[in-house]
Amino acid sequence: MTVFSVLSTPVLIGLVSSLLLALVPLYSELPSWVLFAAVLAILELVRLQRRTQALPGRALRVALTLTAVTMVWFQYRSFIGLEPMVALLVLGVSLKLLECAGERDVYQVVFLGLFLVATGFLFSQSLPISLVGVLALAILLTTLVSLNRGSNQWLWQDFRLAILMLLLAAPLMLVMFVFFPRIAPLWSVPNTSGKAITGMSDTLAPGSVAKLGRSAEVVFRARFDGDIPAAAQRYWRGVVLSDFDGEQWQSVPWRQLPEAERRLQAPSYSGESVNYRVVQEPTRQRWLFALPYAQSDTVGVFETVDYRLAVAEPLESQFAFDVRSQAVADSAEPLSTWRHKLETHLPATANPRTRQWVSTVQNQYSTAETLAEAILKYFREQAFYYTLQPPLLNDSDFVDAFLFDSRRGFCEHYAYTFAVVMRMAGIPARVVAGYQGGEVNPLNNSVVVRQFDAHAWTEIWIAGRGWLRIDPTAAVAPERIELGLEAALPNADSFLVDSPLSVYRFRHLALVNWLRLRYDVMAYQWQSFIVGFDNDRQINLLERWLGKVSADRSATVFLLSWALILVPLGLILARSRQISRLSFAERSFKNVCRKLRARGLNRMPGETPRALLVRAENDPRIPVSLRQALAEAELQLYASRTDTDPH
Amino acid sequence: MARYDQWLKRRLPAAASVVLQNRRLFIFPSRSGGLFLAVLALLLLLAINYQSNLVYGLVFWLFTVFIVAVHFTHANLMGLRVSAGPIESVYAGQLARCTLTLDCSSRLRGHTALKCSWPESSCWVSVPVQGRVSITLERRVIARGWYQPPRVKVESWYPLGLLRCWSFIELDWNGLGWPKPEQPPVTTHVASAGHGARWHQQGGDDLTGFRDYREGDPLHRVSWRSFARQQPLQVRQFSTPQSDDTWLSWDQFETGTQEQRLSWLCWLAVRRDASGQAYGLRLPNVVIQPGTGDRHRMRVLRELALFGEVEALS
Repeated sequence: MTVFSVLSTPVLIGLVSSLLLALVPLYSELPSWVLFAAVLAILELVRLQRRTQALPGRALRVALTLTAVTMVWFQYRSFIGLEPMVALLVLGVSLKLLECAGERDVYQVVFLGLFLVATGFLFSQSLPISLVGVLALAILLTTLVSLNRGSNQWLWQDFRLAILMLLLAAPLMLVMFVFFPRIAPLWSVPNTSGKAITGMSDTLAPGSVAKLGRSAEVVFRARFDGDIPAAAQRYWRGVVLSDFDGEQWQSVPWRQLPEAERRLQAPSYSGESVNYRVVQEPTRQRWLFALPYAQSDTVGVFETVDYRLAVAEPLESQFAFDVRSQAVADSAEPLSTWRHKLETHLPATANPRTRQWVSTVQNQYSTAETLAEAILKYFREQAFYYTLQPPLLNDSDFVDAFLFDSRRGFCEHYAYTFAVVMRMAGIPARVVAGYQGGEVNPLNNSVVVRQFDAHAWTEIWIAGRGWLRIDPTAAVAPERIELGLEAALPNADSFLVDSPLSVYRFRHLALVNWLRLRYDVMAYQWQSFIVGFDNDRQINLLERWLGKVSADRSATVFLLSWALILVPLGLILARSRQISRLSFAERSFKNVCRKLRARGLNRMPGETPRALLVRAENDPRIPVSLRQALAEAELQLYASRTDTDPH
Repeated sequence: MARYDQWLKRRLPAAASVVLQNRRLFIFPSRSGGLFLAVLALLLLLAINYQSNLVYGLVFWLFTVFIVAVHFTHANLMGLRVSAGPIESVYAGQLARCTLTLDCSSRLRGHTALKCSWPESSCWVSVPVQGRVSITLERRVIARGWYQPPRVKVESWYPLGLLRCWSFIELDWNGLGWPKPEQPPVTTHVASAGHGARWHQQGGDDLTGFRDYREGDPLHRVSWRSFARQQPLQVRQFSTPQSDDTWLSWDQFETGTQEQRLSWLCWLAVRRDASGQAYGLRLPNVVIQPGTGDRHRMRVLRELALFGEVEALS
């Protein structure tokens, strides 16, 4: 059976534009062929519609469906997982478009479009993505309005009505958002299938941090309650890398820790506390970024044995948490045997030149502090360079080649080498990876940390003092720590090559910079509210408003606030419908009389319309159009009297 | 069903003109609206399981838009005035066109995409701001006599199609169904003379012209059409009569039931009228003097239609 699509122009415009918009948030999450297929289907619909050609037949549609499902299988090797399901959804909408013939199909496509918008929100809850989603939603509603108006003409009025309804519904929605109880997930759902995200990883090899210097993506934003610590003090610890296998540094997974090592034993911190709230972008990792020594009361955040903050599940979407950091940890306990062994472990054979050099230096400087200072002095005084593009070095004797030959490296080269040197001297040492510095936004007292702020440094353990942070990069390029990466790099380096259009590049223009900072404030507020609104915050908010939270009190306030919005709306709508007692003809006659009065011609009491017409025709003040209108009204009055006559 | 009809009749009594008000309007989610609510339930599950506040927000927004749409859909019908317009008289078995007038008294918003229907016929219409639109619905007239068109259902899905608002309008109107014209078995002319000679000096078939109205002229000669155009009263003049003995009579048939006879008389009357001959009608209780013209034909057909019926309806 041949089926033709009979969509009206406004419906077609609405469907096409809303679906294209709904695809925007999925752009980076889906393989390009899926997006390509979706765009192709949309274009095909438009083409068929314009040429008034028949829609594809059943056989072709079945073939296309089977192909799509097979291709998704080959892409992901599974249908479980967020990405394959979203890919299937997108392909499903595309195929549905190709059989979109009548009104029912339009409803179905619109509802599928709502699903697309929702899945876009699962991948990102950022401000621009949310705005795109809301726009797509408005156009989907416009499509429904156009469909039900049932004319072939595009009218802005449809879009305005959709926006009006959304605006009227918005306060109701906010009330619902605040009051609706947040329930724990009903069953565990497949998550994103672990596509790599640019960002810090839990292994560190030469070059792994440097590649982050090419990107200006935001990693997290932190809003401080009080003064922001100086740039040189802002070491955002992310992951601690204690396990060295001779080639790269790795973190030790929690499962591999012995039972006794898993928990931090009654830590006590001192020093001035700094309070801030961090909104972190999804990292697909379990660790959070915070200044040392961090504690958090946010539900789901726990403190690890190496003084970090972490969550139980990898972060698939933005996450907001509150932190209190204090500068000093008072734990002076000795390292356990297991940990001491872990933190000093070193493969025996590699890097003979360094080994020899360390033993000579060690003879001069007996304590750990003086030895560390001597190594840093060596970095400072020899011709070491700080660069994003260091030469590739032979892996097996990397430290030898770096210390004595190339001497060009990024932070991870220095941290890597320094920790190896310390371990050669028998001092417990480890690499810490995270971010350093970040840009201060004075508008809301916050710090924005981007990928190019990625940094690696070291910690050494000194008996009686505990773990001590040492940043060898600071010895080579102090301006990196004080001013940030860009200041520390020679001009031709590959800073920001992956973000050619980033607004960050244009921040020397005052207006651009102000707008950029302003936007950042909004983005922080949005994410802090939307992303961080959990059960805890809900109860806090309700307690602040209601005093005590109880079911009936919440219900009362909820219903009252709805009534406050809905009752006036109903009244206003009814008001605009006040019934006129006059008939249509009488109303038009009255209108004309009003216009005549404006021109200076008053109807006498009891004057018949015919007499008034005669007077109007002899009155030069009355234009011809008004005379005609009066004549018509008079005729209607007459006609309406006859046509209501009984038969 | 009969009970429901009675309830509806009590709730929505008949009138010549009806304004749709709160108590006349019913509203319920349409089929698409049901699907929409199911979609919302699924999206809510998505929000709960992925703990996504934005998806929560989306679900709540869509749900509250649905609530707001209840008001908008309702307001689209509210205040609409539906009046009974002219209704066509036809022969039994034919489709009669019944005119409805829809009237918008609001200065702010019109009534968009309304569906007016009764079982056999439906019509989509939009009424602009302060506008008036007439629509016709068709109805097959089954038997001669007065007939009442059924209740009109007025529905609206606008603006989102997720809700259906409707009302039934019982209008106090009736149309006339004439007998179905049927050719009589044998045409027996039983002529009877005498009657009707009164008008014959002026009566006839061929219209020759107009003259001004004088006191005492028969009203059926007055040209009402030109009078409606605001011209002075005029009277049509015809040529001399051809015959004065063409009576259509109940008794002229030897067979036939009451309805058959009426159908036959109807057929004869239409034939006479078409050929321009003057004719009179003689029924057991009514006598119409011979004459010609539209008004005469209407009178004859009306008597045939209402023969034997209680006159109370008219």
